[in-house]
Amino acid sequence: MTSETASGADPAPLAGSSRGVRARLERAVPFLPGSLLLVFLFLIPMAIMLVYSLWRTNTDFNIVAEWNLNNYARFFNQPTYLRTFAKTLLMGTAVTVAGIALALPFTYFLVRYVSRGVQRAVLLAVIVPFWTSYLLRVYAWQAILGEKGALNQFLMGIGLIKEPTTLLAYNDLGVFVVLVYVYFPFAALALYAALDKFDFTQLNAAQDLGARPDQAFRHILVPQIRAGLITACIFVFIPILGEFLTPTLVGGAQGSLIANLVVNFFKQSQVPEGAALAIVIAAFVTVVLIVFRRHLRVEDVVARG
Amino acid sequence: MAKRISALETMPVSPLARQTRAVLAILAGAILVFLYLPIAFLILFSFEEADNPGFPITGLTTHWYEVMLSDSSIQKALLNSIEVAVAVAILATVIGTTAAFALVRGGSRFAGTGRLLFTLPIMIPGVLIGIGLLIFVRRALNLQLGLHTVVAGHLVFTTSFVVLIVAARLQGFDRRLEWAAADLGASARQTLRYIVLPLIAPAIIAGALLSVTLSIDEFVITFFTIGPQTTLPLYIYTQIKFGVTPEVNALATVMLFVTLAVFGLGSLLLSSGRRFRRRASE
Amino acid sequence: MTDPMRDYSRRRFLQLMGAAGAAVGLGGIAAACSTPASSAAAPTSAATAAGSAAAASPTAAAPTGTFNWMTWGDHSYPAQLDAIAQTAGIQTNQTLFSDNIEAFTKLKEVGGQLDMVSGDALWIPHYFKNNLIEAFDLAQLAVSKQLYSIAQSFPIWTSPEGYLGYPFGWSPIQVYYDPAKVSPEPDSWEVLLDPKYKKRVVTEDQAVEVMAYMGKLTGSKNSYSMTPEEVATAKEALIRFKPNVLRLSNQATDTIAALKSGEAWIATGNLGTETRVKDQGGPELKVFTPKEGTIGWMDSEMIVKGGANENLIKPYLELANQAEYIAANFMLNRRPLFNEAAYKILVNQGQQELADRFLYNKPETVLTMDLKGPGTSTQAAVDAFNEVFGA
Repeated sequence: MTSETASGADPAPLAGSSRGVRARLERAVPFLPGSLLLVFLFLIPMAIMLVYSLWRTNTDFNIVAEWNLNNYARFFNQPTYLRTFAKTLLMGTAVTVAGIALALPFTYFLVRYVSRGVQRAVLLAVIVPFWTSYLLRVYAWQAILGEKGALNQFLMGIGLIKEPTTLLAYNDLGVFVVLVYVYFPFAALALYAALDKFDFTQLNAAQDLGARPDQAFRHILVPQIRAGLITACIFVFIPILGEFLTPTLVGGAQGSLIANLVVNFFKQSQVPEGAALAIVIAAFVTVVLIVFRRHLRVEDVVARG
Repeated sequence: MAKRISALETMPVSPLARQTRAVLAILAGAILVFLYLPIAFLILFSFEEADNPGFPITGLTTHWYEVMLSDSSIQKALLNSIEVAVAVAILATVIGTTAAFALVRGGSRFAGTGRLLFTLPIMIPGVLIGIGLLIFVRRALNLQLGLHTVVAGHLVFTTSFVVLIVAARLQGFDRRLEWAAADLGASARQTLRYIVLPLIAPAIIAGALLSVTLSIDEFVITFFTIGPQTTLPLYIYTQIKFGVTPEVNALATVMLFVTLAVFGLGSLLLSSGRRFRRRASE
Repeated sequence: MTDPMRDYSRRRFLQLMGAAGAAVGLGGIAAACSTPASSAAAPTSAATAAGSAAAASPTAAAPTGTFNWMTWGDHSYPAQLDAIAQTAGIQTNQTLFSDNIEAFTKLKEVGGQLDMVSGDALWIPHYFKNNLIEAFDLAQLAVSKQLYSIAQSFPIWTSPEGYLGYPFGWSPIQVYYDPAKVSPEPDSWEVLLDPKYKKRVVTEDQAVEVMAYMGKLTGSKNSYSMTPEEVATAKEALIRFKPNVLRLSNQATDTIAALKSGEAWIATGNLGTETRVKDQGGPELKVFTPKEGTIGWMDSEMIVKGGANENLIKPYLELANQAEYIAANFMLNRRPLFNEAAYKILVNQGQQELADRFLYNKPETVLTMDLKGPGTSTQAAVDAFNEVFGA
């Protein structure tokens, strides 16, 4: 069924003959499953939550249909939320940069220097550990980074430090390391999909024509994998706005990110209050994405034209 | 494993290129170590004698593996998780790929909006989706909850990931290949089967893998959308009062090795099959 | 795939106890001895008999089938469920949750799709007030004779229509500390704020609970329903507390790991934390119940109103709450339960010292705790917590 709908979506542009109603219908079909899914499983439930965010919870833990904006005012009137949000954006940016800085050479190496079978195997090796519990993996990080952890033991063993350092865990550095760990595979998968279709002879050609490797990289490779790079950014950056386990588990008392504050409301069933905060954050990111996306589309057209 | 250099490498090798390759190989190796370090500890803790996974190790035992093997409830939870993840992966891949085609090929008017709409479920906290879905399913549709509603809940965000990955691959895809195929007399379906799908296969596979990854450890949406069943994450994240025991580490370890074995065997069979076919055709 | 219950329990027994020869099989005999009266008087006497591990096949008249139960992981254990399924033909489908509020939110939506729900203290009357559960005649269940008498008549769980839940287990929150690092000997919540213990304290990642500790410390009357002034005072204390917090723990596993490695010197937690830390090669900890009083939980099983398989609930409760199951459950999870007959089994097994250490013989303690429940200051508490723990 997919193959049919997909091919329907793919009218040969040079044919140019079938522009009738049927073609338009055919073109609409592939939109259907995705649209239905979005509407019924996402937009309607979100509309319900949007309405809830304008109501309030009474002391009986029931949601009362009293329209008000207090839940939204909370975010803007209490500097803690804005500060924590800013901190979260900063952390997200840092992790995204680091994740891509690691994933790009990693996938470049795979695609360029390694046979296809090995590529698949390594990608699998990257993703399979993530089929085990997130919680267990973060617990393992606690055991590595903690004051009495493996890394400290190791550093003391090789004589690099004398006293165990507490700089590794229960602060923002710990959160950063673990988040890079958690989101690296997402960046790697997105970049792999983009790099895999890149024709590497272009790089050689550019260098043959006198470009330095970094120039060739910047002007030939990067523009062609831009879609993949942006996908990777989205995959890493956005989920971090919803991260709450890693911050509590390795961030200690100082490591809270914005989602921790939101989750605290939900955990106590203050659904309207939590929903409002979550929606503010989502709205902010939506705006950023809209701006970003316009920018992106123009460039893409240019790059493709 | 990553260091095995491909025989496909045919470009002229300058000293600089060789150096680059060596540096990249070391980096890739280091990254794999970084990824597997916590896994090593996770496995180590599955042999911990005491009932709390962590340092210091008090003693080593296979006791938790025995416990796991005789624990019917954790096994049931695991089976439910796998059932959901497989259904989610299949549906998300099919729906997501179709939608990606529609977005990239279906005219640019809605492409931006569409992609934005598909990005939203990724950035909305799961708890909003979970509670929203619960209320919708129960009050508006009056449906019973069960694993099917969990699948629906997971589809919301996994499909988005598939759409984005496949769309990224389709975008900037060299359409001339398709046109060439059409010029050479291939039908639309043949073009799809022999030109397009093989080219976007890596993205589809990546999307499917990601869907499984996201589904198998999802807790919040699962909690609100599940009926009277348990999944593995539900089991793990609800042990607040007393905490998880190394039994869960034991299960995670077994899962890890079973998946690796299945995939290892699968890719071995696949590649040897391909080799066989190639030899036969020669 | 499923071991006989006895073997299973014994294995975990040995693992947890290190006590050789302590076989749960003996427990079954002890239970049979301690409950002859109830099994004779029970309307479902066949079911009661089936409760012992050596039970025979179910009687034809007893209802069989599967019911749906939303609960915590510690309210049953696999071998128990397997045994009940085999002997009585009653199977359970469990959905697990962590906070009362999750279960409450969910039950409000799904109602009769579930048949039984576990809940805490003041949440029970709250469920009842919201018309979600059914009151029942506790005495009608023969197994209820095994309960401490105090548990059969908790005022908060009593209504004119009947009892609101089948009492299960309880625990106060206590403060654990390493005496090698913490001196002088603390006896108050105040120790959490002592600047000497910077980044040495672990507490739960539960806004309302942590605020309740601060409420206790600053002398508020009911720490779940504080006045705005009380919340403000408690928030001041929380600000002083924050620098001392090493981490907010997500599960008991977290707290225990931090104490065991010596990274944390002080922690708040359920009964038995010190034993688990010691069993795992951690330091010898001391424990106290703060002089200002503490908070705690006590849970029970509630019968959902209009549950599709309601007919299975009472037969199940009758079986699952038999003393030998409860005694084995104590050995697995280590917190006091309300089943007095199970205490006697533990005593007979030579576990009195352990049981007493966990206050098993002092169920009246629950009356001194601030009980978990839906309070009026929840939102203010979360606000205060967020403002302190945010950036």
